[in-house]
Order: sequence, then structure tokens, then C-alpha cells
Amino acid sequence: MSFFGFDTSLPRDRGHQTKAPGFGAVPDAFAGLSSRRTVDDDDDDAIDFEDTYDGLGDRLDETDDAFNDDTFGSEPASQQNVGKDFDFAGQTSKIANTLQEEHMLFQARQPPPRMEPARQAARPARTGYENYAKTDYIPQLEASANIWGIQPKHHIQPQQTQQSQQIQHQPHQRQESQGTSATPARKMMSLEEVEAMMRAQSKKPGPPAQAPQPAQAPPVPPHPQHQMPPQQHVHYPSQQGPPTGPPQILQRPQQQTAPRSSPASRPQGHAELPGHAVQPPSIPQHPTILQRQRPAPSEPVAQTQRHPPAQAAGQRPPSQPRQILQNPNRLSGQGQPISQAAQRQAEYQRALPVGPGHNRGPSLQGPVVTHPEQLLNLTEEERAAFLIEDAKRAKRNHKIHMLSKDNGLMTPQDKNFITRIQLQQLMAATGGLEEHGPEAALAEDFYYQVYTQIRGAPRQTPHQPTSQFAQTYIFQTGGRYGVGGRKHQRGGDNHMQRMEQQVQRAVEAAKAKPKGKQLVIEGSLGKISFSNAKTPKPLLNIKRPESTDGFHATARRPSRVHLHDSSVFDRKGTLRNIERVYSTLMLMEDHERLMPPPLHADSDPATIQRHLEWQTKIQGLHEQLWQDLKIMEPINPNSLTPHPFIAMLSHPKGKKAIPRIFRQIDEQQRITILTMIVVHLDALSVVAHAVPTPDEPNLSRATREEVELFSHAVMPPLFAHISESPLNIVIGLLGLILDRTNLQVVARSKIGMSLLTMLISRAELLKQSTPEINIVDWEQWTQLYNRLFDSVEPVLPFVFPGSVNDGDDVYVWQFLAAMGVGASPEQQQRLVLGVKDRVMETVAVSKALPAEIASVRLGHVNLFMRAIGLDVELLG
Amino acid sequence: MADIDDGPSTSVSEPLDLVRLCLDEVVFVKLRGDRELKGRLHAYDSHCNMVLGDVEETIYITEEDEEEQEITRTVKKQSEMLFVRGDSVVLISPQAPS
Repeated sequence: MSFFGFDTSLPRDRGHQTKAPGFGAVPDAFAGLSSRRTVDDDDDDAIDFEDTYDGLGDRLDETDDAFNDDTFGSEPASQQNVGKDFDFAGQTSKIANTLQEEHMLFQARQPPPRMEPARQAARPARTGYENYAKTDYIPQLEASANIWGIQPKHHIQPQQTQQSQQIQHQPHQRQESQGTSATPARKMMSLEEVEAMMRAQSKKPGPPAQAPQPAQAPPVPPHPQHQMPPQQHVHYPSQQGPPTGPPQILQRPQQQTAPRSSPASRPQGHAELPGHAVQPPSIPQHPTILQRQRPAPSEPVAQTQRHPPAQAAGQRPPSQPRQILQNPNRLSGQGQPISQAAQRQAEYQRALPVGPGHNRGPSLQGPVVTHPEQLLNLTEEERAAFLIEDAKRAKRNHKIHMLSKDNGLMTPQDKNFITRIQLQQLMAATGGLEEHGPEAALAEDFYYQVYTQIRGAPRQTPHQPTSQFAQTYIFQTGGRYGVGGRKHQRGGDNHMQRMEQQVQRAVEAAKAKPKGKQLVIEGSLGKISFSNAKTPKPLLNIKRPESTDGFHATARRPSRVHLHDSSVFDRKGTLRNIERVYSTLMLMEDHERLMPPPLHADSDPATIQRHLEWQTKIQGLHEQLWQDLKIMEPINPNSLTPHPFIAMLSHPKGKKAIPRIFRQIDEQQRITILTMIVVHLDALSVVAHAVPTPDEPNLSRATREEVELFSHAVMPPLFAHISESPLNIVIGLLGLILDRTNLQVVARSKIGMSLLTMLISRAELLKQSTPEINIVDWEQWTQLYNRLFDSVEPVLPFVFPGSVNDGDDVYVWQFLAAMGVGASPEQQQRLVLGVKDRVMETVAVSKALPAEIASVRLGHVNLFMRAIGLDVELLG
Repeated sequence: MADIDDGPSTSVSEPLDLVRLCLDEVVFVKLRGDRELKGRLHAYDSHCNMVLGDVEETIYITEEDEEEQEITRTVKKQSEMLFVRGDSVVLISPQAPS
């Protein structure tokens, strides 16, 4: 009966089915044979070929056998042509190093053993800080006693001996286990064992505790020192076997014995008195014994010191540095005879009356309280002082404990390691990655690299070597878990060497860095430039426009201004033009100072060359200045805005520039400027704005200053030029004034009138000095003069500025005088008629004025009067 | 005098180039401490230290009268020439001639 409907009969029940072999079985070639045999029984002992041949050979296709040689080769197999595909040993030996590395890696990847092995095997071979992890570690501060030839001592009582045996074995055993790191008897304690041990401890840590002892401690082999004479006091430093290294050994027993009253700390002959241990205070060999007990109630359990799990779980954090307490100097420095440890001890003993050895004696000399009885015998003050001191110390200890909580987390090697990491990063930060190849990647992400090398993916091929870095750190870091001994083969100076190397590399990298300032990625359009402290990358790149570009840009500005009709832009443009003129002027004046020494006939070629260069430069500047002046801008008579050059003259600094400009330009250019000014005479601000109006007979102060400045700055160069000009130029200029300007305005302004005076007087001078001059010119001049006279005559009454009382009218009299000189008698009469009123008024005013001023005023009038052959005296 | 580098350097490349346009012009300068100056700019430097000529200084003083009303009073001073330390300059404005 089958639940699933299978045939449940066993094969043996069914019999062997030859036709249906099991899975994987080869089909039985002889199955049919045997079955056939059962059919014809007559021929049972003869099996011929036909019966057994299955005919497979007939089915072979031998048509392509001719190519067999091509495939397999024709020669017979020999030693040489046999492949080495299966030479495993040879291949393996090639990668022996790799295998070793892999072995390391494997060990490194194994998580550290957790439970029992954590006790010893997983312990880092030796960090130098282990002792501090123990709660009751007392560093050895005194010289080993056996240095002084003191024999190791043992306890008297068997009970004590028992204890001490256990205690004393511990260090030794541990020492051994550290040395070999493989003690066969290591085993984990079972829960029952732990409980039993605890119970035994709490009950009585005497002989009963012996039972769990094998379990809690690594097997304690019978130790020879155990058999030491009982009357001898145990002096822990000396109990160590000779073959082991002294420094570590010295600390071990202390750590072990500390929590329970260690025999070592017990003064001679008094150790066996548990309840009443009044210590003789004078034991000079043990100054460091004073030991602070941990809180008493939990002690019995916690103090199963040799019980590693308990220790690891509960005891590790409070790794108080005991050194301070134990420092004998410090303790004696307290000046406090009462030992707090003694008090603690007393409490502890009260809680554990049976405890065999809680009566360690302080090693202080002098009156030391080591016991409650002593404390009771003290006076009130002393007791108070003692308690205060105790509280203080407890407080300080707590503080120290808090501060030193993390002490010893890192070994010196760890610190060196971190230092090297930092150096690596420093090197990475300073660059130079290209030079170092794989080191560069390392510097980029150090931790990832370490991780992948130690824990990460296996290498692709065994022949690919681990990087030098990985090899270094496999045997370093990995060895922490696996191979303990290896690390210690490296000296401490190795770290220093490597650090030095890295510093050196960092310095080299920093030196090599500035080479590559740019990175050009192939296929990209630009360069990527790096910035560093020396050459910071400019974030703003303001380019000064090319000189010509900038010039054109601003040169076009006035025309744009026309469109906008914005006086603000116009003003700004004019100011810019002026600045440009000044810049060029300053350059030219500066260049003049750089003029090379004057040339002689025998000047050397270098000097000539310099002269040529200087000339070229000044020529360029000269042209530049001429352009800056905008004097060649086309004149647009209908324009609302003045010509750029004239606009410049409306600014004080523009006026001030004219004398300096005239120094730099040639004669033709001066005429051009003069012409330009003359053509725009009525457009000049000092002319147009300086015409007194009926509303405003007196000019504003600003305008007067402008006019003053113009007459001091611009007029002298113009006058100097006019005073040397030939008649035709004077004629031309006067013609321009008459044709192009509003003479009414010009004649009523001081500047205009002064200019007219200049022209007329120059012509008059020429007429008188060179009478033989061209007749045609003179006729032209006379024509112009008549036109001028006709134009000016109507405004003669208005040409005087202000009232008669203002003395500033000399220029008018000068003009009248100039006009009068060249005037015909008829014109002179018209002149006199035109200004008669003013003359009379001035004469009248001057009579009321002080004599000096009056003579000046009359002198001005006389300029005109004399010009026409009269004198103010005649009027008087 | 050769404090200008080559070429027509009057194109504006920094803010003080605009101040340069105001050289020898009348400018309006606002200062810390409720003071204003109006005068002709003779010189300046990168710290906005300035030399002004024909300066009219206006100081605004706020006082409280008996009814605790704030009254602003101005004090004006004339100076022929003034050196203005740049750290007190708040703004410089070109003052179009009025």
C-alpha cells in the first residue's frame, strides 16, 4: 500500500530488472545476451564474436581520418612535446609567496575568536597596555627584589599556600601561553563550572575554591615554586622562573594578586592573621602596596580575577591608573599617615570575615592606620582629617578614572600606524600622484584600499603580486589576529624609518607638484587648470579691451548720445575723452623725459637705434593724442550737442589741457585747433553762457571762474599762435567768425571779444610792420573789417559787462582801441558815438573814486581814446 | 605722472575709473556721521581718500526739544581744501554743475 501510489515493493521483492538499470548505470551490453541465452539453451558454452559485437565499429565514420595528423601531429609523443598542463607542483612552487600571503589574508579575515580563545589566543600578542586593562594592576615601581638577592618567599599556612599557588601559577602560566600562544589544555568553562566557582568564592576562598580552580584558570601544572618553604614570604617578583623576561613578569603577579590580599603585599609574619592584621608600618621594600580596593560587596565575584570572561565583561572599563595612588613619593607627600586603603580593607574584611588575606599592610613609615581598631583609637580631629582626606582622594581618583577611561585603547604601534596614514594623506594633498602610481590610488582612498587588500576580493591571478602596500599591512595589521610573533621582529625604529621615508616622499611630491598646472583631457575643448597656493586660479578675468577697440567704442559714443539725446551720457563721454587726452598727455610727457642723449655725427648705432625707437614711440603717442582730442570729428552745424572737442573745453580740466596739448602738437594742428575754437566760438560755454542778460546783468560766480580760467589757460596759446600767424590766416579766422558764428553773442562775451581783439590787432600790426604785403589780402581784410564793424556797431552799448561801477571792462576798451586803430575816420566817429555814454560815465565815476583806481579806469578808457586820437583829458 | 599704464586706459575696468572721470569736477560726497561734502575733486586713491577743494561741508544734527520732538539742524562749513579719509566715505556722486 502506498500513500502516493508508488509501487512500494522493494527491488529485492521485484527481482532485478536488467533492462532498467539504475540512474547512472551503464547500459548492460550483455543483458540481451544473457536473456537470449535463456532462449536457446543448446549453445551455452560458446560465445562467438557475432554474439558479443554490438556493431558500433561499423557505425564509425572514417572519411575524415586523413586529417588526424593535422589535428594531433604526426610525430610520436616525446618528452619535449608533452605539455606541462598538469605540472601542478611546478606551478604551485612558482606562487609559493602568493600562497603565504593568502594564508595571511585568510588568517586576517577570520574574525578573532570570541569565547574561550579570546582569553589568550585572541589577545594581541603584546600591546604594552594589557596590564592597564586589569582593574587592579599595580605597575611595578620598585626594583625587583631578587636583584638584591632576596629569596622568593612563600606562605606559611597551607591555606595561604593554596591560594598563593594558584595566584603564583597564573603569571607563569600566562607567560608561557604568551610565549607559545598555543596551550593545548586551553578550554572553555562550562556554566556549571563558573557557577561552582562563584559559589566557592563567595563561600570561602580557601581550599574549597580549589575545586573550580582547574576550570577557571588554565590548567595549572604543578609548579615547583609551590613547594617552596612555607615560612618564606612570597615575594612576587622573584618567584618568576629564570627563563622568562623580567619586565613583563614583574607586572603580572601584581595584577593577579592585587585584588585579593596578595601574599606579596603581606608583610612578613603577619599575613596569616586575617581578622587582625595590624601591619608594622616599617616595611621599606613595599612602598607600592597601598592598594585601593574595589567596592567591597561585589568583590567576591568580580575578583575572580583569573576568570577571563568575567574580567573581560565587567572589569575592563574601570581601568584606573593606579600609579598615582601607588606612587610612594606621592603618598608620602600627602603627609597623611592614615591609609585609606587600610580603611577600605577594614570594611572589606567586615563584609568578608573569612577572607584570608585582606590585610595588606601599607608600606608607609610612621603612624599608619591600617585597621579599624587603629581608626577608633584616633582622636576626633584625626579621624575627621582622615575622612576628609579619604573623600578627597576618592574624588580625585574618580576624576582620573573619568579622564583615563580610554587610555590604552591604542597601542604605540596603532599610533604609528595612524601617523603614517596621516602622512599618506598629507602626501596626497600635496599632490604628485602621477609619479607614484599605485601609491596614488592608495592616497586617494586609503581606508578602502586597505579594506580591499586585506578583506576584499581575491586577486585575479596568483601571479599578480599584492602591492607593496598590501604586503606591508597584511603582515602588520593582519598579524595582530593571526601571527603574533611576527610583528615583534620588526624593531620600533622601523616605524621611524618609514615615517621618514614618507615625509621625504611628501616633500618630493610637493616639489614636483607645480609642474603640471594644466590638465588637458583628450577630446575636450579646453584645459582644466589647477590652482594652488602659489598660483591661485583667477576667478575673475577682466580684460582690458584692445586699445583700438576701446577707442572706437567710445569714439562712437557721441553719435549714440545723439540718438538718446541724453546729456548725462554726453557729459560722461566728454569726461572720458578728457581723461583719455590726459592719459596720452602724461605718457607723452613721460616719454619726453626718457629721450635718449642727443645725436651727434659720431653717435654709435645703439644710440641712433634708441633715437629711432623713441621717435617712433612719440609719433604713435602724438597720433594717439590727436585722435583723443576728437578734433577731426565732422562738424555738424545742426547738432544739438556741441562738437566733442568743444565739449571738452566746457570742463575746467579740458581747458587746462590746452596749453599742454599745444606743446605737443605741430603748427598745422595748432591752426586746426584754433580754427575749431573760432568756428565754434559762440558755442563755447565761456561765450554762450557768459553773455549778460537783462535779467542777470552780472555773471554767476561759476561762469566768471570759467571765463577766467579760459582766458588764462586757453587764450594765451591761441594768442601766441595768432600773434605769429600771417595775414591770410587772420583773414580766414575772422571770416569764419563772421560767417559761422553769431557775432552778437561773441561780441558781448569777454572771450569772444578778446579773440576778436587779437585778430584785429594782429592784422593791424601786420599792416603797420609790413606795408608791402599783398594788396589783395588787404582789400579782403578791409572788407572783413567793415563787415565786422557793421555787425558790432549795433551792440556797442551792450558790450560792456555789468554796470559802470564794475571795473572789469578793460577788454572792451582794448577791443575798441583795436577797432579804432584800423577804423576809418567815419567809423571812428561811429565808434565814439556808440560808446560815448560809457566813456562819460566812467569819467564821472572815476572822479568819485580814489586817485589810484580812478587813474586805472581812465587809463582803460584812454586805450580807446588814444587809439582814435583823443584823450580823456580832453573830456575833463 | 606716469601712473597710467599704456594705451587709452580710460575705459571702465574698475569702479574707481568712474571716480577718475570726476577729477577736477565738483562731486558730492556722503560721509559717515551724517556729513556731506560738496567740492571739487582734486585727487583720490584706492582707499577713497580724497582731496577736495572749495568744499562745503554739511553736518546734520538731530536734537530733541522739550516736547521730545526730533529736530534736524544742519551746520555748514566752508573749507578751501580738505583731505577726506577714505574709511568714512559712503558715496561719491558726480555733481553736475548747476
